[in-house]
Amino acid sequence: MKAIALSLLTLATAASGLLAEIPDRPEKLSFPALTYEPPKPADYRVQLKAGPVAYIATDRALPLVTISVMVRCGSYLEPDGKEGLAEFTGYLLVRGGIASKSAEELEERLAFLAAGLSSGIGDDSGSVSLNLLSKDLPEGLALLREVLTAPRFQKDKFDLHREQSIQGMKQRNDDSGSIQAMEAQRLAYGTNFWASRISTEKSLNALSIDDLKAYHQKWFHPANFVVSASGDFDRDELIAKLETLFANWPFTGEKAPPVPATPTMAAGGVYLVDKDVNQGRVSVMLPGVKRDDPDFPAITVMNDILGGGGFTSRLMNRVRSDEGLAYGAGSSFPGGVHYARAFQAGLSTKSRTVAYATRIVLDEMNRIANTPVTDEEINTAKRSFVDSFPGTFNTKAKIAGQFAADEFTGRFAQDPEYWSKWRSRIETVSKDDVLRVAKQHLHPDKAVILVVGQKEEILKGHPDHPVKLEQLASGKVTQLPLRDPLTQEPVK
Amino acid sequence: MKRFLMSVVVAATAAIPVLGQKIPVVEKQLPNGFKLLLVERHEEPRIAGGWVAHVGSANERPGITGIAHLFEHMMFKGTPTLGTKDAKRDLEIIGEQEKIRELIRQEESKMRTALRRGEVTDITSPESRTDRYRELEQEFKRLLEEQRTLLVKNEFDRIYTTAGATKMNAFTTEDMTGYFIEVPSNKLELWCWMESERLLRPVFREFYAERDVVFEERRMRTESTPTGKFAEQFNAMFWDAHPYNWPVIGWPSDIPAISKKQADEFYALYYQPQNITLILVGDFKADQAEKLVGEYFGRIPRGNQPPPEVTTLEIQSSAEKRYNAEAEVNPQVDILWRTVAFGHKDSYVLEVIEQLLNGRTGRLYKGLVLGRQVATDAGAANRPMKWAGMFNASAEAKDGKSLDELEQSVYAEIEKLATEPIPADELQKVKNNFAAAEYRRLTTTFGMLYQIIFSEGMGDWREINESGPRIQAVTPEDIQRVVKKYFTKENRAVAHFTRKPGSGGAGEDPDFAGLSADQKPMARQFTKRITETTDAAQLKAMLAGIQGQPAGTDPKRQQLQKIIVRKLEARIAELEKK
Repeated sequence: MKAIALSLLTLATAASGLLAEIPDRPEKLSFPALTYEPPKPADYRVQLKAGPVAYIATDRALPLVTISVMVRCGSYLEPDGKEGLAEFTGYLLVRGGIASKSAEELEERLAFLAAGLSSGIGDDSGSVSLNLLSKDLPEGLALLREVLTAPRFQKDKFDLHREQSIQGMKQRNDDSGSIQAMEAQRLAYGTNFWASRISTEKSLNALSIDDLKAYHQKWFHPANFVVSASGDFDRDELIAKLETLFANWPFTGEKAPPVPATPTMAAGGVYLVDKDVNQGRVSVMLPGVKRDDPDFPAITVMNDILGGGGFTSRLMNRVRSDEGLAYGAGSSFPGGVHYARAFQAGLSTKSRTVAYATRIVLDEMNRIANTPVTDEEINTAKRSFVDSFPGTFNTKAKIAGQFAADEFTGRFAQDPEYWSKWRSRIETVSKDDVLRVAKQHLHPDKAVILVVGQKEEILKGHPDHPVKLEQLASGKVTQLPLRDPLTQEPVK
Repeated sequence: MKRFLMSVVVAATAAIPVLGQKIPVVEKQLPNGFKLLLVERHEEPRIAGGWVAHVGSANERPGITGIAHLFEHMMFKGTPTLGTKDAKRDLEIIGEQEKIRELIRQEESKMRTALRRGEVTDITSPESRTDRYRELEQEFKRLLEEQRTLLVKNEFDRIYTTAGATKMNAFTTEDMTGYFIEVPSNKLELWCWMESERLLRPVFREFYAERDVVFEERRMRTESTPTGKFAEQFNAMFWDAHPYNWPVIGWPSDIPAISKKQADEFYALYYQPQNITLILVGDFKADQAEKLVGEYFGRIPRGNQPPPEVTTLEIQSSAEKRYNAEAEVNPQVDILWRTVAFGHKDSYVLEVIEQLLNGRTGRLYKGLVLGRQVATDAGAANRPMKWAGMFNASAEAKDGKSLDELEQSVYAEIEKLATEPIPADELQKVKNNFAAAEYRRLTTTFGMLYQIIFSEGMGDWREINESGPRIQAVTPEDIQRVVKKYFTKENRAVAHFTRKPGSGGAGEDPDFAGLSADQKPMARQFTKRITETTDAAQLKAMLAGIQGQPAGTDPKRQQLQKIIVRKLEARIAELEKK
């Protein structure tokens, strides 16, 4: 084998600088240098005369165009008792017809053009997006203008969406994951926080088409828009088209107020929802930070080592690889835009090992808060962020989309060099920084631990692992009731 | 991607021309049997690398179902030099572990005997373990602890992650096992090193902990979801002879019974070079990549026996099958028809039929949700697989509509496809979407890799370029012919799902207790309407209408009527009191 390969190998080495022999360890390989500089926002940013800022990235590779309009609005602007208003408005903008076309006619036309036109409103932003073949751009922009200025909110589509939404609501308690998501939200931010409000059959029945129209006219106007565009167009021509798109707006709305930012986390302890499934779901929560926190890079690296980094993280190694207790275990420390988003660690494991696996998570939180991480761990975390960085901007659509999002959330105004500095901010995080932020933020004894699963089996624990749920965190176990899916009232 | 001619596109008004936007794949064969597929794409400084082993759950047999997938997990456990500080001692420990496992298997056999005799009811409960089992487990644990002092945890992953790789994962289906990752464009050689090493000399350490992980995956995906258990059983009922009838994840008693020896044999048989296709898409020069791949993967010896193919053909179905389940779901109907394998000439027609039925302008949504108003949602999915295929239609019932009515409405739409030729505009709409998708699929390096892995795993990567024109060539006559051929009664299995009583958490009206699952939504809807009505006269008219109807002989129907009459009378009394 070796003898025959020799001549071929020599050839290959000469051609591409390969090692003559395959080494026994990958560290012995050497790689050509790869330099990468992220795109600069200024090269894409355009202040339109008609009001919005747009980020425009031409990409002639394929005959496709994507245009997205982000809108300052969200469910935080819903009056109490009308939960669901933002979602309904967002959904029906495109699905409820426009001035020149009924909902059915619009759907058919878009389908024939193989065009995607979608709209939606979430917690703190709305968006309307168009993706189509570049040959159809003029027609697409005309439709987009009508969606933004003259949606019809057709009665039959409004009624149908309500019916479908209530149908969907009935499934809220069917999957333990859905129960976990709703309860985790309430525990992490408080039942009174705006983002914890949830639509009910009653709140949807309280909605009227006039409510949707009023919401739309209040927030959907150019002063609340940020635009991203990418694809197959001439930049100057597209700018002219966008000026036309947003000119002479037929109504004047209001500037969206700031997003309220006063969440409160529940008292530490274990919260248990009884649900008859043979795998318990666990969320371990603590108060988090905003993403503009000066420690956020250090927190990001710390979390990657603890549980954010998949198979290189401690939680995955301990809970999954060592013990075979869960398919996945991990943590996230997201960093909020408007308010501090909670730290969350989680896993799913068979009922009898819920307490034991949770104990491991708490132990690992303790460990990272009290003992420095290894050189290898911090190096892996940093290299992974730095060397995978080009993926952030790997398509023109992502470039325009990311910069528009930064404009929208105020990051561009606050920190215009954010992306050019990002890698060095990660590189400078030290082991001391990791220890310091872990100590500051991770307090396992104060954690809010949500468990959804078979109560009786979970409380039994496992004979090989003498840990009980009552011994975790502050030691207090509170049973949370299931809530009626349509009313959100506790069910006995 | 090269810029193509704009003028051709502009000239087109109705149809989107298919310009042959093919993915330029270079196919090579390595002397030891590997197939190599290369696609240069320089839009981003990344390389997406993957390989597909032509083995899936269909290659298993009863007793070791789930092994193909478990095996996928084991491929990340390292090599003699990756994952341990002492390869020699590591292998010795694995050998000693196997001896203990063999003794544990003898205990497990005793536990199964106890189960058959009714001496225990659940051998998975920790209390069912024999004393000897517990002792052996302790011994095994001691070996594991020693092994852990030598382990370099998840080193395979750590090396890639430290190198800036992303998206590392793998998947197993009935037909294939695919492995993939994306690396910076200067790290092609690292990919070659890592992937060829794990194919050349994998070490399946931590086998039994990983087996537990897979069981947790089964609990997560199948056992603790609202529909998982039912979907698995319905699928098992759908296929008679074909090995598609067991789940990819494996039966719950098989997963914990698979031994490392079985995994070793499985590897030797199905992971030979001639059963594997290597695929690279991204920022490299094809000739250089070929050389590098040849050097690294050329080290792996060709296997000495070709892996067996799946020879079982599904039998002709002679009767419709029906499945009735009570689950934590909204009432719904799920229908499966037997169709054809991937690449069959009728599969392109079925793709078009799927799209005619699907989406908000598709016939199911328009016919069932908007038109007849029997459903809140409806959709279709064509699923050709490597050895056989199926087509699915499903719909969720609108409150108060029966599942029988829902099912018949689906058939009515299918029947229309068979009897009335598709209008030209409607067919063109579907074809336009397929044509546009030919562009949309080219937007990322990783997305292109995934499509090639999938198509090659199904039998032939060339389908990524050849299916487009074949779909464009489908005629209205093809559609009628294919619908008539496959969408027959004997060819289908039908599942009715009703909501499990007491589930959902909503307090059910105790009056509804004796009603059938089909009647309950009707009763709820009537009751809602009655409570919302404030006009007593209107309610009295309704009451008179119902009382004027003959009660019929069906006792269930009589009971429903009685309940509604009672609700009406109570509401009228309440209104008149005010």
